[in-house]
Amino acid sequence: MASIEVRQLYKRYGRITALQGLDFSVKDGEFFCLLGAPGAGKTTTFRIIAGLEKPDRGEVWIGGELMNSIPPQRRDVAMVFEDVALYPHMSAFDNIAHPLRLRRLPEEEIRRRVGEIAELLRISHLLHRLPHTYSGGERRRVAIARAMVRRPRVLLLDQAFTDLDAKIRQEMAAELKRLQRETGQTMIYATHDFEEAVAMADRILVMRDGRGVQVDEPQVLYDRPATAFVASFLGSPGMNLLRCQAIPEPQGTRFVHADFMLLSPVQLGENREVLLGIRPEHLQILMSPAPGSVEAEVEIIQPLGLERIVDLRTGPFVLKAIASIDLPLQLRQRVWLLWPSEHLFVFDATTEERIYPG
Amino acid sequence: MPKRAWTSVLARWGIVLLVSLITLTPVVWVLSLSFKPPQEWLAYPPTLIPRQPTLENYLVLFWPGNPVGVVSEMVRTAEPVTRAFINSLIIVPISTALSIVIGFLAAYGISRFGAGGNFLPFSVLTTRMFPPIAFAVPLLVYYRSLGLIDTHLGLILMYTTFTLAFSLWMIKGFIDGIPRHIEEAAILDGASRWRVMFTITLPLIRGGLAAAALFVFIMNWTEFLFALIFTSRFAVTLPVQVSRYAGAVGRYYGPQAALGIIASIPVLIAGYLIQRYLVRAFTFGLVK
Repeated sequence: MASIEVRQLYKRYGRITALQGLDFSVKDGEFFCLLGAPGAGKTTTFRIIAGLEKPDRGEVWIGGELMNSIPPQRRDVAMVFEDVALYPHMSAFDNIAHPLRLRRLPEEEIRRRVGEIAELLRISHLLHRLPHTYSGGERRRVAIARAMVRRPRVLLLDQAFTDLDAKIRQEMAAELKRLQRETGQTMIYATHDFEEAVAMADRILVMRDGRGVQVDEPQVLYDRPATAFVASFLGSPGMNLLRCQAIPEPQGTRFVHADFMLLSPVQLGENREVLLGIRPEHLQILMSPAPGSVEAEVEIIQPLGLERIVDLRTGPFVLKAIASIDLPLQLRQRVWLLWPSEHLFVFDATTEERIYPG
Repeated sequence: MPKRAWTSVLARWGIVLLVSLITLTPVVWVLSLSFKPPQEWLAYPPTLIPRQPTLENYLVLFWPGNPVGVVSEMVRTAEPVTRAFINSLIIVPISTALSIVIGFLAAYGISRFGAGGNFLPFSVLTTRMFPPIAFAVPLLVYYRSLGLIDTHLGLILMYTTFTLAFSLWMIKGFIDGIPRHIEEAAILDGASRWRVMFTITLPLIRGGLAAAALFVFIMNWTEFLFALIFTSRFAVTLPVQVSRYAGAVGRYYGPQAALGIIASIPVLIAGYLIQRYLVRAFTFGLVK
């Protein structure tokens, strides 16, 4: 196992900029996650760490050793590709044994290690079958087994569960986390799915346009997003963001846009354009007006078991709120929204950086 | 079975029968002709089953003038077919193997590393952009000065060169069809590029290689123009030998048909041996 350090990575493909000054470090034995929308540069980062691509600039250090000129075969990095990339002409046993055979391990040792990892990942029944006979989840497991069997210093998983259905994805995420804890393997997982990242990672790096936006533990990212982008990306649904004018008042700040107006005790100090944010679960729906509430109309109701996601129109904005199933809501109903000041976020409208809470 | 289903089955079988008839009639005709005596070669109305079947057409190919008979008399001065047959069996497999090996290596370089940019793969096609006769005279000059006229090596080089475009493009298509990630996974497993090429890529395109090899083999086996121009006696191949069964009174269709049948045997054997790979080649898109 080893730590990883990525310093100032830059990579362009023709006119497309994939990475622009990416920095992060992963501790030895950590489960780290790269979270970003498609095109954020996650796969490129992986390919550079693995040695499959050369960066235009920047450095990759693994276990304190500079990797830039080391070929992929000698980096001791394993990777599970988004499309799995099993060898179609080999059985699961041969797929998993492949890296061990390349290391010329005795056949007895190979059989033992393949058997162990197959048991750990519950794929022993697949060992003598060809990949085209596996289900999606089974293919992922075999690919993970092949990557882990040689005990690499670093394991990279590129959107490894993307095309699985939600239930299997949850199971696989839990299993991978368990596996990581049991083996102490340094793992980096790339995904665009916030829930998947939160479920597994010790720390998450949120990426945007080839840069790291914020890196921290999942709960910290959720509670204190550094930018409006992070706030909107983390959460399901993401944070409501309203572009409005913040006007200081003696008793706090008045947030105004067209016919939307909210008076909050939040102190900002100067008149400026901002992004006002509140998470859907913190927006309170009232059936009658209350001091500090804003009037809204119910536009869409999406049932989610014990809760519902409700789209509410207020002024020019459509906000999402999570409401209990017990709340009697109907389409086009008038309701009032309460904005608890302890859950409000304010971001600068230009830089998108957080202003409040400071 | 409902009436509609019967109609569908009948229509399907009707089409199969028609296509088989169109495809097989010339083969059956040549087979029949190879067993006919001279008076039946051009008899009218033609017959499918020879009235007086004979093996003479086959025997004279190997022993011209012996045994004594009408056909033997006709082809008395011809060379035995043995030399042409051996020549073809030397030249064609070697040139096919060379074309496939070089084609595979070039296709891999082009497909995986973009070797030669856009220019190289298309420049290879220039050998197929002109009628072969356009190359014949300049090549004849080169070959004469290099002492390659009427040699095995001369035809092997020629056939390898002129089929390379086909093998390269066919094989490139199959290599392009293999996701790069499969090869990259092997590299990360610790395999060298050469090892990846031989243990991952090659087994995956085995069917494609077999299809390309059969195609190139048939092209070389039936090539006539260059063999006619660049050989005279020592390196004559089967297609040229066929053309030699003619005399002042016309063509000797019986021996020609017999040689045609014999010449088909290696192609049929090759096709049979690689049949299962061909099926794999046709279903190649199923790699996942």
